[in-house]
Amino acid sequence: MRVFFTVLAIAGALLLQSALSMVLPAGARVFDPFLLVLVYCGLSFGETHGMLAGGAAGWVQDSFFGGHVLGLSGLTKVLVGFAVGLAATRFQLTEAGPRMLVLVAAVLVDVLLLGVLGGLFDISVGRPSVSGLALRAAINALLGVVLFELLERRLISKRRP
Amino acid sequence: MNRVETRRSRLLLAGLVLAHLVAISNQVDGGNGASLFQRWALSVFAPLQSGLSGALHGIGSVWTSYADLRGVRRDNRRLDERVRELELQLQEKSQEAAEAHRLREVMAVRDVLPVRTLVAHVLSRDGTPWYRTVTLDSGSEEGVRLDAPVLSSTGVVGRVIARGPHASRVQLLLDQQSGAGARIERSRISGVVSGQPRTSATAGGDLVMKYVPMLSDVVVGDVVVTSGLDRIFPPGLLLGRVRFVKTGAGLFKEILVTPSARFDTLEEVLVVTSLPPDETVVEQLK
Repeated sequence: MRVFFTVLAIAGALLLQSALSMVLPAGARVFDPFLLVLVYCGLSFGETHGMLAGGAAGWVQDSFFGGHVLGLSGLTKVLVGFAVGLAATRFQLTEAGPRMLVLVAAVLVDVLLLGVLGGLFDISVGRPSVSGLALRAAINALLGVVLFELLERRLISKRRP
Repeated sequence: MNRVETRRSRLLLAGLVLAHLVAISNQVDGGNGASLFQRWALSVFAPLQSGLSGALHGIGSVWTSYADLRGVRRDNRRLDERVRELELQLQEKSQEAAEAHRLREVMAVRDVLPVRTLVAHVLSRDGTPWYRTVTLDSGSEEGVRLDAPVLSSTGVVGRVIARGPHASRVQLLLDQQSGAGARIERSRISGVVSGQPRTSATAGGDLVMKYVPMLSDVVVGDVVVTSGLDRIFPPGLLLGRVRFVKTGAGLFKEILVTPSARFDTLEEVLVVTSLPPDETVVEQLK
């Protein structure tokens, strides 16, 4: 089931990103639904599922929205998914506040790793400004926390008899 | 999460990271038409491949050398045997050639002699120190008669003193008991030639010409031939050359003659089977 819902979530992220890129291109460049999927997987199911979901999400993102080199987002999201899952097994990350911090950190780490990998492989990747990075982190964190909350409430309501 | 799962997840992470790095590197152009991954792989694995190739080449060389060495050893044995065979053949051919040469010489002499002869081979030489004899492979069945003169291509050898059906014994001129009527060719002085007594002082390789008067004209270098007066040897056959002449206190000269026949290398000889009734002079053997 986990895998199915993860695949479903990645497909939803793909659709959402595609829709955003057509309707609101500036928003599509800031919002990262794939990152939200892997963070949620990491928080909910641990490091293994987090990194696998991250890898899959990253490859899909690279395939549809990436440059000529595939795998950069895949690698960054594998690492981010693993780190989030690892953090979830060691810390209490069920409240909105810590999750927001995790999301902010995930966005920063994702962008940072992308820059590092770009430099390592001599690939030109867009370097967002500090304000752009902050905006990206903020938007993704806020939307992520909201989406996570909604999703969990729905799941909890489904589990209740 | 237990420790096993943690380890598994970290291994998985490492594997994923590595796979991603390879995938990314494979897409990045590393220059010279090769991807970055290919360049990394080449730079990392080329020395290993080189080392492996060198090791394999070395092993191959050692194996090839070993195989070659075995082959060389086998060839060496084969060639060694072949060389021995060829050496034997060569030796046989050389002997045959030498024999043919000797026989040609003997036959050349035989052709010019006015007497009938047969060719005989020397089977053995003198076995005792007191007598100088050789044994021939021809006897009475082949026409050899007692006292028959025996000649070589270079001069008189001796006479038959015993004979069997297919072998005969020849007394050499070197034997001190032998004797042949001789003549100094230049001055026509006659005498008797025989072997020297075999003492420690004399080597026994020379002949002695006896009964030559003191006043006779004999000088070193004179040719000595058979005189025919002994009724054994035909006249005019070469006996040797005067090597030493001494005028002593007696009636006769002391004359040493170097024999013309090479007694130490005798192998084929001519045995005279019949003498012409009124033989006078035979062409001198050179």
